[in-house]
Amino acid sequence: MSNSDDHDHDHDHNAAPMVEEISDFEVLEVAVRELCIEKGIFTQDDHNQWTEYMHTLGPLPAGRLVAKAWLDDDYKQLCIDDPVKASLAVGVDWVNSMPSKFGTPSDYCNPRILVDEPKVKHVVVCTLCSCYPRPILGQSPEWYRTPNYRRRMVRWPRQVLSEFGLQLPEDVEIRVADSNQKTRYVVMPTRPEGTDGWSEDQLAEIVTRDCLIGVAMPRADRKVDDKRHVHKAIHPYGH
Amino acid sequence: MSKSIPLLDKIGEEGRVWNDLREEYGVENPDPPWRVTLESTCEALNEGACVLPSLARRDEEDDLVDELYSHIPHPERQLLALAHSMIIRGIMTEEDLAQHLKVVEKRLNAA
Repeated sequence: MSNSDDHDHDHDHNAAPMVEEISDFEVLEVAVRELCIEKGIFTQDDHNQWTEYMHTLGPLPAGRLVAKAWLDDDYKQLCIDDPVKASLAVGVDWVNSMPSKFGTPSDYCNPRILVDEPKVKHVVVCTLCSCYPRPILGQSPEWYRTPNYRRRMVRWPRQVLSEFGLQLPEDVEIRVADSNQKTRYVVMPTRPEGTDGWSEDQLAEIVTRDCLIGVAMPRADRKVDDKRHVHKAIHPYGH
Repeated sequence: MSKSIPLLDKIGEEGRVWNDLREEYGVENPDPPWRVTLESTCEALNEGACVLPSLARRDEEDDLVDELYSHIPHPERQLLALAHSMIIRGIMTEEDLAQHLKVVEKRLNAA
């Protein structure tokens, strides 16, 4: 038998901290949702399907689409001509897929693939609200919804891109695509150097979400699931 | 000008926002755990139900945030605006919500 002083298991593996209280906002979210269900507006099952869909979506389908297009010119042309059909090859059915199941005017069934060129860079925004190609790109990042991004990207794209760390030469034209409820854009960036002979799987790994929105460029040394690199402090505290 | 809803004003004034909570508890996740379920509710209201179309909701959210909830961060303001839109459209009443909030609060805080 052990007590708290003599047991020897590893205490470095503490559980991640959690918020240990229920906020009024959390209560409000549950209450609104349950009232909708109580009133028969949607079912718990409808809601669960949406939640699971959002949790499991990642940038991979769009990343794979780009990787396939880099390797196959015919497929690249299909991405330009018929993005709905091209998306089927990466498992995304814009018209019939879960959870919408059917086409309505509110569905996002007019996806467009914007193909970058060496001297043309595309970037996506939604100035009106926060339209985003979720069926193929997952949940939008927080910054995509902010007025800062929405308002400034259309006016000063070069400046905003530089704030993301993307410094583009002056001779590169920037085209900003403004999404709307039906038309959702995905950027197909140019294939980076250092990826000759790579397989589709390898290429798909370097097409990150930000590359697909257009605020970053893919790099051979940066994968979607890489751990984030932290630079060591130049003047560390206490040294 | 949008009319304020006392019940939602009170939550906006007294509720603790995620940014404060995560700082206090040392949590790194930038989004509250209820953000995805909030998004699901918005989608479900838009899709099969067609009760609250996304574009109309987002238009209203922008107006409501401008006029009433500008001091509240996202996604708390999105949630307040959604509840507000639902009340003014008669999808639920303020009384409905007040009553159900009590039920949920008691359930979630049960030991």
